[in-house]
Parts: sequence; structure tokens; C-alpha cells
Amino acid sequence: MEYAIECFDLHKSFGTHKIHKGIDLKIVKGAITYIIGPSGTGKSVLLKQLCGLMPPTKGKVFVNGQDITVMKPEELVNMRKTFGILFQNAALFDSMNVYENVAFPLIEHTKLPKSRIDAIVTEKLRLVGLSNIEDKMPSELSGGMRKRVGLARAIALEPEIMLYDEPTTGLDPIMCDVVDNLINDTQKQLGITSIVISHDIESTLKIADYIAMLYDGKVVLYGTAEDFKTTDNPYVKQFFSASKEGPIKIM
Amino acid sequence: MALLFYSTIKLTFKKPFRTKLLLKQIEFIGANSMSVIILTGSFTGMVFAFQSYIGFHKFGADQLVGTVVALAMARELGPVLSAIMVAARAGSAITAEIGTMKVTEQVDALNAMAVDPVHYLFVPRILAGLIVMPMLNAVTVLCGVIGGYLVSIKVLGINKTLYLDYMYTYIDFEDFANGMIKSVVFGGIVTLVGCYKGYMTRGGAEGVGRATTESVVMACVMILIFDYILTAFMF
Repeated sequence: MEYAIECFDLHKSFGTHKIHKGIDLKIVKGAITYIIGPSGTGKSVLLKQLCGLMPPTKGKVFVNGQDITVMKPEELVNMRKTFGILFQNAALFDSMNVYENVAFPLIEHTKLPKSRIDAIVTEKLRLVGLSNIEDKMPSELSGGMRKRVGLARAIALEPEIMLYDEPTTGLDPIMCDVVDNLINDTQKQLGITSIVISHDIESTLKIADYIAMLYDGKVVLYGTAEDFKTTDNPYVKQFFSASKEGPIKIM
Repeated sequence: MALLFYSTIKLTFKKPFRTKLLLKQIEFIGANSMSVIILTGSFTGMVFAFQSYIGFHKFGADQLVGTVVALAMARELGPVLSAIMVAARAGSAITAEIGTMKVTEQVDALNAMAVDPVHYLFVPRILAGLIVMPMLNAVTVLCGVIGGYLVSIKVLGINKTLYLDYMYTYIDFEDFANGMIKSVVFGGIVTLVGCYKGYMTRGGAEGVGRATTESVVMACVMILIFDYILTAFMF
């Protein structure tokens, strides 16, 4: 099997607070991997380390076989073009309208003529089910629309790897389904590797090819959705049954 | 912060040059500060004329008021007051804007899209500060001198010919240049502190508020300290 990202013995601490205590994880190329776990287990922090936004305290991260922990800042910046990231709150630039947001990476990194950029922006917005909102400002959009614009911006440069940070948190059930389908469709249509952070069990089991569950700074279980349904790992069982009783301590 | 300053300088000469962003910042820091600067300059000059008149009148040197006003405005009050006003108006806004971008992950988004936030956010602002601050200083000094003149001649009734004559004789270009050099440094301080405090913001809306306050206080204190250092050097 080919891996897009591999990380070995990853440690991360903020001051004395240890977030990750040795994470080993391999992300299969061209598949959708879900990272799940209770709040505060450092899922977003892990995501930021995988794409080089945050350096690990100890350990190695390889992206397409290259060690990103030893890269110089300029190399790191270039490497990041491999990634498209959808942030938790979409992180749209609020001083720019929708068009400028989606066109931003294209203007920054390509020398395409304006007409080509226009076409790509319209195409990407269509892909996420939006049209005729190019002139709106992010503050005028609903949460769901903002996430979809964020997704359009993230896939504008056709990245090899897409990272989603809690794409369905804070959305209504219908919107959740729309976003789930979007993740699935983007992956199928563009054939990219996707990593999704979530604590939405239903969508995880529905669309994940692989799942990794984090708890207490470690991966407690890694496997397919089938593995997760049949496991008797107490952490996974407690998390999936949403119960207070079990080994997961409530913080 | 020194590190940040170093990388800003290094990145200033790196392509692409963001002319549009730079012009936008020049407009924001410079043109939009104009009314505040004009008011500050004129009133300072006017007050200064009154105050120095009290002293000079005692030994009959009324006509020297203009010289003192112009000297103080050009060397000291112009650069310091204009920089403090810009710190309050534009420095705080820079911190609030970058701070909000930081806490809403927009800075991360820039990074994620392989755009260096220092290059995209800092360079245009700091360059604009360096370019615009001396211009604002010139306006402040001019307004101060005019304000002082009006009060001295129209209100205090000092002899107009003597007033101007003394001013021309005792003020050199060097006095003015002195203040201009200061204001370039202050322009750098205000924008650099604004960017730095914004970039270091943590902790939501409250954090943005805190960072903004810290930015103005830190910029003002640094202006006064650097004012002393520069004055001592150029004395």
C-alpha cells in the first residue's frame, strides 16, 4: 500500500502539558481517513503537524516520502502547496468577497490569465453547490455556505491531500449530509487523499475508508469502518455508545 | 520582535511586490490620519505659543515665541505627537485586524496556502509606516507653526515682522531634518509593534482587545524611549 503521510513517534507538548505521547500513523494514498476522539485530545494539533503548520516536539513526519521536520522554512512553504485545508470555521478572509477568497491561491501561485481564474472559481463553486454568490462578503454567508466556500478555496489549486478540520461541527443535520457528500465526491472526482477530523460517528462510519481513534496522546485503534464496528476496544465502544461509563475520563 | 523585524526587512525585497496592498495601507495609515494630524498640529502650536509667551513676556522677548514654537515643533513635538496619534489610530487598527485574523485561523489559512503571513501582512504595513510617517510629521510641523503664528500675531499682538524675522534667522533645515529622521523611526516602530502584537494574539475576542491595548501602550512607550535615544545621538 502507498502512503501519502507517515508519522513516527510524534510527541507534542505545550509547556508542561503533553498533548501527543508518541503517535504512529500512516495515511493511505487516495483514501479517506477519519481521525476521531474526544475533545481536547489534540486532533487539530495533529492535523497542523501533518501539514507542517506546527513543528512536533519530537518525532518524524513524512509527506510523500520526504521528511518535513527537517525542511527549511522556504521548502516547507513550497511543500504546503500539496495540501488543501478546510479550517474549522472556514477561515475565509473577511476583508475579501467570495470570488477573491477562492481566487486567492490561484492569484498567488499561478500566472493564469483573469479569464482562466474566473472559470476555475465558477467551476469550484459549482462543485460545492454554490452559484452567483461571488460578490458576497463572508459575513453575509451562513455557516454551511462559508464552509463550502472554504472548501472551494482549498481545492482551487487541486491539492494532492485534503485536510478537513471538523467539517460538520455546528451544522444542521441536512447540511452535515451535504458536507459529507462533498467530502466523498471531492475524493471520488479528484482522486485525492483526504484526512477528516470529526466526532460525528455516523458520518465517520458512512464514508471513512480508514479510521484512527486518538485518546490520551496515542492512537488507541486504527482500522477500517468494519473493524471499528466489531471491535471490543473499550475506548472505542465507550466513544461510539456516547456513554459516561468507561475508560475515557471526562474532562 | 527583532527577529520579526529582520525577516520583514529580508522579505521586503522578495517578489512579488504587493503594490496594491502597499497603496491601500498608505491610504489607511496616511490619508485617513490627516484630519487628526491637522488638529493635533494646530492646537499644539497654538497652546505652545500661549505658554511660551508667558515666559518670554517677562523679559520682553515676545518676538522669540515664533522661534521657540517652530523649534519645538520641528525637533520634538511634531514627530512625537504625530507618531502617538498614528499609534492610537492606525497601530491599534493594525493589531486588531491581524489579531482577529490570527484567532479566526485566517493567518493559518495564509500559511496553509503557502503564503508567508509576514510577507503578505507585515511588509506592506511597515513600508507604508516608513513612507507615510515623515509626511504626516511635515504636516504636523506646518500646522503647528501656522497655529503658533496665528495666536501670536492675532491674539497676543506680537510684532509680525520681528516674529518672522527671528524665526527665519534661528531655524535651520537641520532642525527639520532632525525631526524627519525621528519620524521615519517612529513610523517603523508603530507599524512593527502593531503587526507583532497582532500576530502574537491568543484567546478570542478578549485576546484581540488585550493585544490592541498593549500595542498602543507599547508603541507609545517605545516612541518616547527612542525619542530620547535619537535626540541624544543627534544632539
